Amino acid sequence: MKKINSYNSRPLLFLFLICIVLLTTLTGCSSAKADSKIQITFWHEMTGPAQVQLEKFVNEFNKSQNKYTVVPQFEGNYNEAVQKILNTHGTSASPAVFQSMDISTSQIYNSGYTTPVQKFINADNYNVNKISAVARAFYSKNGQQLSMPFNTSQPVLYYNASLLKKYDITPPPVDPSYSDISRVAQQLYARSDKKVKGLSVEIYGWLFEQFLANSGESLANNDDGHSGTPTAVNFSGTTAMTTMKWIQENIKSGAFMNYGSGSNAPTNEMAGFLSGKLGMFLQSSADISQLTAGTEDKLGITYYPHPDGQKSNGVSIGGASLWISNDKSRKVQRGSWEFIKYLMRSQNQAAWQAATGYLALNKDSQKEAVLQKLYQKNPAARIPSQQLARTVPNNTNSGIFMQGLIQERTLTQTAMEQIYDGKNIKSSLQDAEKQMNSYVKSLNQANK
Amino acid sequence: MDTQITNKNPQMRYKQRKEEKPLMATGLSYNKSKALRDRLYALIFLGPSLLVLIVFVFFPMFRTLYLSFFLTNNLGKPTVFIGFANYISLLSSSAYLHSLQATFIYVIAVSCLTLTLGLLLAQTASQKVRGISFFRTIFSGTMGVSVSVAAIFWLFIFNPSVGMLDQLANLLHLPAINWLTQPGWAMTAVVISTVWMNLGFTFLIFFGAIQSVPSTLYEAAQIEGVSKIYQFFHITLPMISPTLFFVSIITLIESFKSFGLIDLMTAGGPDNATNLLVYRIYQDAFLSGNYGLASTESVILALIIAFFTFIQFKVLEKRVNY
Amino acid sequence: MNKNITPPITQRIGQIFLLLLLAFFILIPFLLGFWTSLLPTADISKGALWSSHISLSNYYTAITQTPIIRYLFNSLVISFFTMAVQLLFCSMSAYAFVFIEFKGRDTLFYIFLATMMLPFEAEVIPNFVTVRNMGLLNHYAVMIIPFLTSAFGTFMLRQAFMQIPKELREASEIEGLSHWRFYAKVVLPYSRISLFTLAAYSFLASWNQYLWPMLTTFSDSFRPVQDGLRQLQSQETFNNWGMIQASAAIVVIPTLIVLFIGQHYFKSGLNEGAVK
Repeated sequence: MKKINSYNSRPLLFLFLICIVLLTTLTGCSSAKADSKIQITFWHEMTGPAQVQLEKFVNEFNKSQNKYTVVPQFEGNYNEAVQKILNTHGTSASPAVFQSMDISTSQIYNSGYTTPVQKFINADNYNVNKISAVARAFYSKNGQQLSMPFNTSQPVLYYNASLLKKYDITPPPVDPSYSDISRVAQQLYARSDKKVKGLSVEIYGWLFEQFLANSGESLANNDDGHSGTPTAVNFSGTTAMTTMKWIQENIKSGAFMNYGSGSNAPTNEMAGFLSGKLGMFLQSSADISQLTAGTEDKLGITYYPHPDGQKSNGVSIGGASLWISNDKSRKVQRGSWEFIKYLMRSQNQAAWQAATGYLALNKDSQKEAVLQKLYQKNPAARIPSQQLARTVPNNTNSGIFMQGLIQERTLTQTAMEQIYDGKNIKSSLQDAEKQMNSYVKSLNQANK
Repeated sequence: MDTQITNKNPQMRYKQRKEEKPLMATGLSYNKSKALRDRLYALIFLGPSLLVLIVFVFFPMFRTLYLSFFLTNNLGKPTVFIGFANYISLLSSSAYLHSLQATFIYVIAVSCLTLTLGLLLAQTASQKVRGISFFRTIFSGTMGVSVSVAAIFWLFIFNPSVGMLDQLANLLHLPAINWLTQPGWAMTAVVISTVWMNLGFTFLIFFGAIQSVPSTLYEAAQIEGVSKIYQFFHITLPMISPTLFFVSIITLIESFKSFGLIDLMTAGGPDNATNLLVYRIYQDAFLSGNYGLASTESVILALIIAFFTFIQFKVLEKRVNY
Repeated sequence: MNKNITPPITQRIGQIFLLLLLAFFILIPFLLGFWTSLLPTADISKGALWSSHISLSNYYTAITQTPIIRYLFNSLVISFFTMAVQLLFCSMSAYAFVFIEFKGRDTLFYIFLATMMLPFEAEVIPNFVTVRNMGLLNHYAVMIIPFLTSAFGTFMLRQAFMQIPKELREASEIEGLSHWRFYAKVVLPYSRISLFTLAAYSFLASWNQYLWPMLTTFSDSFRPVQDGLRQLQSQETFNNWGMIQASAAIVVIPTLIVLFIGQHYFKSGLNEGAVK
């Protein structure tokens, strides 16, 4: 018994006691945030300069009035955000207003978790005609505006004009075909003694979709979902075959560079371009500001390339829109709408385009000094807007209205990885197509 | 009657417990009120853990099994019962089989390399050389490295434009390898990073085990004039076999569950070359919203891990030299 | 041990060479990481490994421009509570398995053991729904509550408790000591080393959590450091390697220090758990 008493366990018990006290105080602290303003949680997926600018808007909005406080939260990439939004709906963790990518429109709409912005447009008699019609159309259904288009970009081709000049290469035309690009890429690769790669096409489903759009081919049946729920997809048509063959051949010869897929790919691609190891690449127009800031070389921009022997059909917009959740009180929803309106103001839209490269959607923005100055300094910055303006909307270049498009991207990206690595083009594409079709089938079955 | 014996003779009770035979089971209840009180105590002592395990382990196990027989809609609710269709479609999908294969290659490579290198480090660090404790500290260093830190360190090394390896290859006029964009190399890169991260822990345990081998055994061997290598295989290895067993289980199971490094370094790519089972579950459930299919994948993962744990427990248990 | 036989000089050189070689390979990622964290990003992206502007400015940027300190604090809170409660719950259940007799004890113990075969990763889908329904999303609690106990911890402590001389329990029973007092006054202090080991183990396991926090946290106020680093990395569209490496260093240095101090306990305890 002596032995028993010789041990003292008080310190241990004491430790547990402290833990419990700390735990309760901490949870108390975190939930009791005293703020008389209405808090509006805003989820976004912007990175780099776009994130900086967006947070600037949020601060300015918070200072401009004393009713609401917008709290911005970065939620990772577009793909991750969709399920986060759907999964948190109805809990205290959910956002009041959120940004969700173009291809998630059908899915978010079908969830029934949002209040269409049309409701607020009507209530305020807000003049939507000021906002680009092409962009608005992308996010509306049956004449009702579901969400507000926000960051809107165009896929374009960037080239390093100084580098081309150095090697005495004629730059690609403003509306280039595949062979125009091959010519520049191959010359660059050869004349730089294989030190500079010609072109990079990131393994990104969005770019794959745009290749099809630009040659007027549907990716999903029922007119890309515009005339009914799609039941089958087309990954292995003529355009996909031609395009993939074009890329594969040039990767094999060394003229094109493969930076892979995933979040590291665009970062490495841009690093390669900025350091002069890469001459051209296909990317969103949203990269313009980073590209101009990151290098002293002259930046060239062209429209998205199209297959040889045909006219380009035009590409659809990319980017994301802003949605208002319906699981928050009316006051909070109102505040969300006020914030959206604030972002759409002409001077803010102009500042947005100047800071990022996303297109200003407010028609008045073009007159703003900040954009005028930008165009003067860098005439190429007009190219994305021009590409958008000359596009005649039709079913193949107005986006794909379909659920499960994240899976489509995963599968097309896998096919691209296989093809870039030298595997058989047709079987890679058909394999992806087969998998997507069976996925679509079960998806339609589950969501009946 | 029995009551009295047990109460008066602690020795007897002790024996009974040693045989792991609960008293109640023998049908000779020695004291009903004590038994009742003990049950109450058992409930109090086990209650909290049981509750947590029921809510977060047992319930989800059955729920996952249940979900695996359904199609789920875009809100994740099971809507259509489809029997084994998810299982059939998975096991006939080349992409999934590819993932399975990749996972096995990864697990085997990581386990073998971790164990071998861990042993090498531990054996080397057991020598009596001046300043050896400095080396021991270094060898155990990666234990303090978490997944995301390891991923950042290695991403930098494998980076195609600024990375060390690329520059090294340049210097030696070797063709540059696109470490993370070529299937075979991406797997190699992920394996190297994982093994590096595992080494600290493995080293520490092996080292402790080698240290506890009685030195008399080595002295005897020395007198016999037996070579160091022979000593290692015939004294050290058998003596530390229980530890070897423990570490191999942990490493194997942990490798099957790898997620963080994959997510940060390759995101499952290129061409699904590093799309290991857990990453695929994440992709299908939390990116694509395909919860039924992801549940099926979870069941398969659980079965594989359970199988290996069981086999290792059962088979190695007998061979281990206690 | 081998006083009489000194190995030949070539063998000694070989040993030292091997040691240096192994140390080099273990250290290189650390060294590169720390070194680049001192260089300006502009020089790193040119591929230079030397710069005339060596400074701590990347650390300054990381601390002032990113929530890295907040992430660290979150991880500390989460890991600390997980560890503390896990010690309590595991030791309680281990105590029951060793010192309390009740019907079905063995069966229950095997059920506990069986949970070690079920990976948490395979159960995230229903668990996510559970914590959502409990209203725990985006809170410290969501990263603590599912891990309040562990089968491994229970198993490890059970092995340790079985080493306690049975005479102690007999004696205490005669003295009329209740289970509670025996548990608190004898069992816990007696197994201090194992408790420390479990503490270190569960703290580290919680610190290294990656998938679960990624799924259940949505704001920087609760995000732990592993996912914080992921967050920083994915926000970085420029290759700001200097800042990223500095953040990684900020995260790894405290753990390295803690580990080197606690190494001894960790080692001996884990071996005990492993062998017996």
